[in-house]
Amino acid sequence: MGVIHGVDLTKSYGKLKAIDHLTFEIEQNKITGLIGRNGSGKTTLLKMVAGYLIPTSGELKVFSENPFNSLEASANSILIDDTMTFSDSFTLVDILKEMTPFYANWNSSLALGLFDYYSLNPKQPHSNLSKGSKSTFNSIIGIASRAPLTIFDEPTTGMDSAARKDFYRALLKDYLEYPRTIILSSHLLSELEGILEDILLINQGTKRLHLPALELKELAVGLRGNAQAVISFVEGKKIIYQEDFAQGSLYVVLKRELVQQQLEQIRQSGLEVLSVATDDLCVYLTAKTKGGIDDVFKKG
Amino acid sequence: MILNTDSMKPIYVQIAEWLEGEILSENIKDEERIYSQYQLAEMFTINPATAAKGLNILADEAIVYKKRGLGMFVSPNAKQFILTRRKSQILGQMIKELVMEANRLEVSKSELNGMIQQVRRENEEE
Repeated sequence: MGVIHGVDLTKSYGKLKAIDHLTFEIEQNKITGLIGRNGSGKTTLLKMVAGYLIPTSGELKVFSENPFNSLEASANSILIDDTMTFSDSFTLVDILKEMTPFYANWNSSLALGLFDYYSLNPKQPHSNLSKGSKSTFNSIIGIASRAPLTIFDEPTTGMDSAARKDFYRALLKDYLEYPRTIILSSHLLSELEGILEDILLINQGTKRLHLPALELKELAVGLRGNAQAVISFVEGKKIIYQEDFAQGSLYVVLKRELVQQQLEQIRQSGLEVLSVATDDLCVYLTAKTKGGIDDVFKKG
Repeated sequence: MILNTDSMKPIYVQIAEWLEGEILSENIKDEERIYSQYQLAEMFTINPATAAKGLNILADEAIVYKKRGLGMFVSPNAKQFILTRRKSQILGQMIKELVMEANRLEVSKSELNGMIQQVRRENEEE
């Protein structure tokens, strides 16, 4: 069952289309990763879903309602991002205590437990927090809200590696105990893909892929070795990415299904068959320009 | 337990292999209940759907079987089955790769056999 339905959804800022005729559906009680490069439209999309922005055209339904002016959708969703601001007349602990009336499922003991664990200063105002501590504090609100639709926009910005790992683990543990629909936007796919069920990859406001995380992991395969040998196997097939690796040597990424039957033969001929990290694959699939950063440095 | 996310092996395959390891070492014995998808998700910090796929690999090979409403249980003879299959598949593949690498390095047949014998002897002495 879908919790969010978008049909032909568009959001323009002047001439720029941040979201461009996007049709998608987010299923209930799944953890979905919204992945895309900087400026791909992730934040705009999430703000529309949370009801902060009104779409320019197209249809968007959250819990079967238009989120922009629906109390129902608003009461059942939360958007956590780094622009959240709280009045400085509240201390951090006050903020957590004041959440109870806003979120029906608010888990106060979990919020305070996480707060203690991260050793944040209860008396501090929100605006004084460092970047990483602010992200940590906001993530506590996101987890403890247990909102039926919980959205995190770049939740780990500024967090150190230990805090990020703790966040993913805390989120997953609470999700297991209390399943709900969760969307996480990030460009750090490698460290969070393990907890994702689905991945929605967007690029320039359009959908590039939407599939189970497990399938993305096996979508592509990399072949590396003697350039002529590589070419003989991939000729005429659609290449996702290629890189001149060393003199006379080539690295090519393409869909696994295109060479599935020949993999044994390819190995026999001395080429390396490599798995492609989902992180890298997403970069290749959303490249704005052909080639990579190395081409900038190639003169003449 | 740390999963290798960079590995050629998908996470669910690593889960299946870890469970097989638990059966081989008899940490989980015949007819005992195996971890649920939610327990595995918690243990490894992975999505329960990924854990379920790992369990399904074992179910497809009848290493575990489902008891309605009670969960998954280790089949009788599961250990023997895993041993036989690993011998033919994994060991077979490793030997294939070993021979290929030996050819690349221009190691002769007798030289390679000698190297294997040597490692064997060293292991026995330990």
